[in-house]
Amino acid sequence: MKLRLPKARAAVAGLLSAATLTGCVERSDDTIVVGLSANITTFEPGMISSRDNANIARHIFSSLFNLTAEGEHVPELAYSLDISDDGMAYVYTLNEGLTCHDGEPLTAEDVAYTFNRIADPANRFTGNTPGFVFTSIGFRSAEAIDDLRVQINIAQRNPIALGLITEVYIHCKDAYEAMSLDAAASNPIGSGAYRLASWTRGSEVVLEKVREPGSFQRIVWRVIPEASTRTAELIAGNVDIITNVVPEQIEAINGSGRAEVQVVSGMRRMYLGFNLSAEHARLPGGDAIQNPMVRRALQYAVDVPTICRQLLSVECERATGPVNPPNDNPNLTPYPYDPATAERLLDEAGWRRGDDGMRFSIRMQAGRGRYVNDVNVVLAISQYLSDVGLDVDLELMEWASVYTPLLRGRSMGPLFFLGTGGGIWSPIYDMTDMAQVGSGTNYTHWSDPRWFDRWPELVNIATPEERRPIINEMLQVFYDDGPWLHLYFQPDFYGVSNRISWRARRDEYVEIFEATLK
Amino acid sequence: MGVYIVRRLLQSVIVVIGVTLVSFLALQAGGDPTYLFVSERASLEEIEATRQALGFDRPLHMQYLSFVGDLARGDFGQSLSYRQPAMEIVLEALPATIELTLFAMLGALLLAIPLGVLAAINRGTAWDGSITTMSMLGQSIPSFWMGIMMILFFGLYMRIFPISGHVPFLAPLMAGDFGTAFSNLPRTIFHLILPGIAVGTYSLARNTRLVRSSILEVLEQDYVRTARSKGLPEMRVLVHHALRNAWLPVVTIIGLEFGFLLGGVVVVETVFSYPGIGRLLFAAINQRDIPLVQAGVILLAGIFVLLNLVVDLVYVRLDPRVKLAGGQG
Repeated sequence: MKLRLPKARAAVAGLLSAATLTGCVERSDDTIVVGLSANITTFEPGMISSRDNANIARHIFSSLFNLTAEGEHVPELAYSLDISDDGMAYVYTLNEGLTCHDGEPLTAEDVAYTFNRIADPANRFTGNTPGFVFTSIGFRSAEAIDDLRVQINIAQRNPIALGLITEVYIHCKDAYEAMSLDAAASNPIGSGAYRLASWTRGSEVVLEKVREPGSFQRIVWRVIPEASTRTAELIAGNVDIITNVVPEQIEAINGSGRAEVQVVSGMRRMYLGFNLSAEHARLPGGDAIQNPMVRRALQYAVDVPTICRQLLSVECERATGPVNPPNDNPNLTPYPYDPATAERLLDEAGWRRGDDGMRFSIRMQAGRGRYVNDVNVVLAISQYLSDVGLDVDLELMEWASVYTPLLRGRSMGPLFFLGTGGGIWSPIYDMTDMAQVGSGTNYTHWSDPRWFDRWPELVNIATPEERRPIINEMLQVFYDDGPWLHLYFQPDFYGVSNRISWRARRDEYVEIFEATLK
Repeated sequence: MGVYIVRRLLQSVIVVIGVTLVSFLALQAGGDPTYLFVSERASLEEIEATRQALGFDRPLHMQYLSFVGDLARGDFGQSLSYRQPAMEIVLEALPATIELTLFAMLGALLLAIPLGVLAAINRGTAWDGSITTMSMLGQSIPSFWMGIMMILFFGLYMRIFPISGHVPFLAPLMAGDFGTAFSNLPRTIFHLILPGIAVGTYSLARNTRLVRSSILEVLEQDYVRTARSKGLPEMRVLVHHALRNAWLPVVTIIGLEFGFLLGGVVVVETVFSYPGIGRLLFAAINQRDIPLVQAGVILLAGIFVLLNLVVDLVYVRLDPRVKLAGGQG
């Protein structure tokens, strides 16, 4: 049977017009769409732990103070802060007339309730605030002094407490006391500029503006786990911002004429760690890396700029230590790629090449799928180390279930590849990974007294200016004889539609407040 | 038949419990899940407190027995990452996957039967060769690759179909919101077309070959020869005698395949950002959200067992020669 042409044309036209309505989403000018790579699991302030989840939460919940993209503390719900002389009491004074999304007035009692609720062991919260912020600042209690003043009590003077408290999401007492924990996880009643309008689990979160700041009336956060699908949605014009663009797709996005990739030097410190524990010193190669000269030699052995250009598609910001620029030691320059120097230092350290051309064997461990192009980066490092005579036994592991337990037990290595989050608001924040020899984040078991003996002095100095010389001296020690082979600060890639004006931040915060239409 | 059904349902309880045990052990084999629920900088004390809060400090057999005890009371536990009842979350994701699976299966069947018949009755011709070749190709193409190619072509360049996402139909329908359900329906279908093709292509290819070989086998039977010798028109012979008898293996495969597809669309769901049960369970496995995985596994195993039962019953209906053990055909 022949299909008559006019009817066929009509059918195709109908199909296409229906497709136009459905396939290509027409966005109004008051809506911005963000494509995220990870799923959203909760809006319970005490349970939020992933960055994507926190990025949405920051639009629903406000903090007492906030951090700008440049790392400055700025008032948000509170307009002033007084810190007691002993540094153990933080008194915040709130702005007047604050309310939560249900209309309930937001007072100092609500702020105190927020802190105490999240810290309450009976609630069994395991998110970033109870699990990291409160333990890092030594949170003790919070109490309302009057309607507008709230006092946060911490265990001891802590130069990074102010920054960490910005990560506490403030909510109202009456609303949360009226809800079960189950209900609170999916019905956030926040204090921020946007309220939750709808949440389709695994698919999208829609926020509606309730107050300033914010240029868009609606923010739609879509969960699009597959990188190529996120890219396709961006180029098709269905989303305005996408996170975690993979380097191979940068060219396609920039060449589309509809969007471009913003590359920012992130704050995640990528390094090859030397595990210096006594247990690892007994492993092959573990004895060699106990010698600082060997560790220094290996700094010259890896061509970091080439790794960045070839595998990450950008010129990375090189690292000289654990501290993010601009808070790092300005006198230090990244180790150059100089295999001849590496070989000379290894010879001088007593690890000459043997008959087989190898100096010593060593195991190197890494997780896969956690960082940008991590497997290839690790393979390249392994090759560079082999080039100067190391017989590298590379073990690539599943990140979550295999590598993470090793990490928490501080038992990876002797060589291990890792990236740890940092900040630009305080050099001490970046250095606290190694606040104590036995701290859970000193994965290397490094114990140099020139570093660790200075901590009490460092945290008890009141002004940043007075701290600076000590920090620089400590960073010099870390640079010369430290436990990291310094690589780079991981670049972050965001795809941004030409429809909007928005700048990516270095700290992985995706804040839409200042995004505007072009 | 009643006895047979009751026996099968009792057997299915054992199967489901066996499946939960295997999945529980498999998830535990990866090590202590506590580490996935603590921050990067958590101290050993915090890790231990979290371990206790999540119940991972108890011996494995106690954890499992406690789970089975709760299960007997109809409590599937709380998702560790969503902090919501696990079965509630799974059931929330199920309608989307059923929509996708049904759409793909129906599409595949509607095409596979005529194509299979066409190839069989034209055996050895160009028709047969083309259809068989296409079927082999359809079975060989990975669904994720096909999904990405379709996204690029139909979604990005042609801009005919949505690239990703889902518009619910079954969920509002089951909630009694018929207005929303039916107003969503056209958009639901549009969002299903690309993932449906990606999921259904393998089914289409396999069922086409199956229908073809079944028809060819039946066409050789004596009763078909008799029907032809009686002078019946070829179409009547084909529909009433050949196709009807060729159904049996196809029904078996369809039933099982529906079950496989329900649990196996994870890749396609990920590529198309489709919020179904496959993607949910994949994320839950990565996050080691054991209660959520168990709830999903129980649901899928239950559906699979029921589908098998339905297939057996349909078998009896289609072929009076088949008798059910312990029951009457």
